[in-house]
Amino acid sequence: MMLDNIVTAIEALPDVSAARRAALDALLRLGLPGPHEEQWKYTDLSVLQTLAAEDIAPNPDTHEFPADYADGLDALNAALAGGQQHRPIDGQVRLDTGRHGRYHLTVDGNAELRLEDAGDTRFATCFITLALAPGARLRLTRVLTASEAAHRITRIAISVAENARVDIVTIDLDARFARHDLAVALDAPGATAHLYGLYAPAGATHLDHHVRVDHRAAHCISRGYFRGLAFDRACAVFNGRIMVHPHAQKTDSELRIANLLLSRKAQINAKPELEIYADDVKCAHGATFGRLDPTALFYLRTRGVPEAAARALLTYSFANEIFQHIHPPELRSEITAKFLTRMDGGAGITELT
Amino acid sequence: MLEIENLHARAGDTAILKGLNLTVNAGEVHAVMGPNGSGKSTLSKIIAGSEDYIVTDGRIRFEGRDLLTLPPEERAAAGIFLGFQYPVEIPGVSNMVFLRAAVNAQRKHRGEPELEAADFLAWVRHRVKQMKMDPAMLSRGVNEGFSGGEKKRNEILQMLVLEPKLMVLDETDSGLDIDALKIVAEGINALRSPARATLLVTHYQRLLDHVQPDHVHVLSGGRIVKSGGPDLARELEEKGYGWLDAA
Repeated sequence: MMLDNIVTAIEALPDVSAARRAALDALLRLGLPGPHEEQWKYTDLSVLQTLAAEDIAPNPDTHEFPADYADGLDALNAALAGGQQHRPIDGQVRLDTGRHGRYHLTVDGNAELRLEDAGDTRFATCFITLALAPGARLRLTRVLTASEAAHRITRIAISVAENARVDIVTIDLDARFARHDLAVALDAPGATAHLYGLYAPAGATHLDHHVRVDHRAAHCISRGYFRGLAFDRACAVFNGRIMVHPHAQKTDSELRIANLLLSRKAQINAKPELEIYADDVKCAHGATFGRLDPTALFYLRTRGVPEAAARALLTYSFANEIFQHIHPPELRSEITAKFLTRMDGGAGITELT
Repeated sequence: MLEIENLHARAGDTAILKGLNLTVNAGEVHAVMGPNGSGKSTLSKIIAGSEDYIVTDGRIRFEGRDLLTLPPEERAAAGIFLGFQYPVEIPGVSNMVFLRAAVNAQRKHRGEPELEAADFLAWVRHRVKQMKMDPAMLSRGVNEGFSGGEKKRNEILQMLVLEPKLMVLDETDSGLDIDALKIVAEGINALRSPARATLLVTHYQRLLDHVQPDHVHVLSGGRIVKSGGPDLARELEEKGYGWLDAA
């Protein structure tokens, strides 16, 4: 794949450190993942070639660079973010994921991390590793409502120590192209992860979400509830993978994916995957696909609700199963309103909720 | 109020209604009874505007207007209410939001101003009390996790809030215990007035003990085969529907 625009953008920086140059070299050596790879079956990164060099916008700041990279994307992010920032977090913290960034964050106590991207930058990559100490609590909310020209790649990896707990809500509404990888590792007994996510691309958006939960120790709990809606010509990809490693006995895990197709031209590719290498575990998973229920539509219309509003209300009803987990309530209202206004007949519902 | 003439309808390739005639005047309560598969539910759904059926002949007029060209929401705004045999669950949308959406939409369609939120809440609470329901249900999802009886009670609650002119109740009595049946019947009777009419579609006599009909019709094979007064319902309860075919 040609990466001329990336190279040009980085060379144009006033000062390119040796470490950043090494990251760029690693990118050119490793290349970007292609459609022949299982994890990239439905998402083609060659779309990045369409970006102009001035839209790449590398972060000029320089931080610490790693010695080596997991893959080409990892090197790409380091080269564009200017290395990685280390930071302990506590209480409420916000990060703008609409710019290139790379962070290693540690949580010892109780933290609420909000990752927001309502930006109009054309391109941003944001890679975050989070380490929760024993007994720590993290509430992580990631919201994507960027411009319709935005291209985004995020990678979030969370390690959860003994008796620590992470609660994650991800909401993906607007962008042109987005790929998110979210990995949670339950590393010690008593670690818990609750994940809720909604992906709802509209227009010509392509939105890919890969979620992975690794049960690496006994007595850990994970719950994953994801819902997808595709409007217009949009394409959504969701892959949810639960991995129960040897010795992770008494694992308690559930992954549910429900999808709603709202247009004939919309597309959703969703797959739950379960790999179990321990024998005393409780694991459940499933995926469903559907359209709006015609009986429910008729029911609403017999009460006087016009067809467009009835469709909006039922679509809201489907999405609200995830929205209700958004914290704080003001953010929930803001996202719900944004979601409703994209639908004909949705505006009237905003006032009711 | 409601005039049905020579109504023919089918679902897919199956003819269900085959020349049905029925006139319901304001102030009247009509009961339509009949065996399973006779077309009772089809009739009520067609009146409400279901797209599951194709009307191949005949017409339905409501207060002089041609009903068949109107979408369901316009029929509702005109004053028609269908109580569903199997009310739909809508998790994620509370009963209160649902009721407000319905009332606002109907008022808007009729060119009336929206009700103030506080006035509306008081009005709904009054109706909830009347139906002997727990006000906490208003913040729960529409019919979400409701028992069969609770769903039917919720249908009548919606009807009491919307105050339609024509109440079409499709097997509202099925799945109700005796106490719930009485509450549902009281709800229906509360709306009886010289300006309103009721069409009770039912399989059994028991609702009719509590909501006295003026006219009873037997629907069989897609047609009204017999009409009479309240006595006819009792006769049907005793003899079943078999004797009508023989006659």
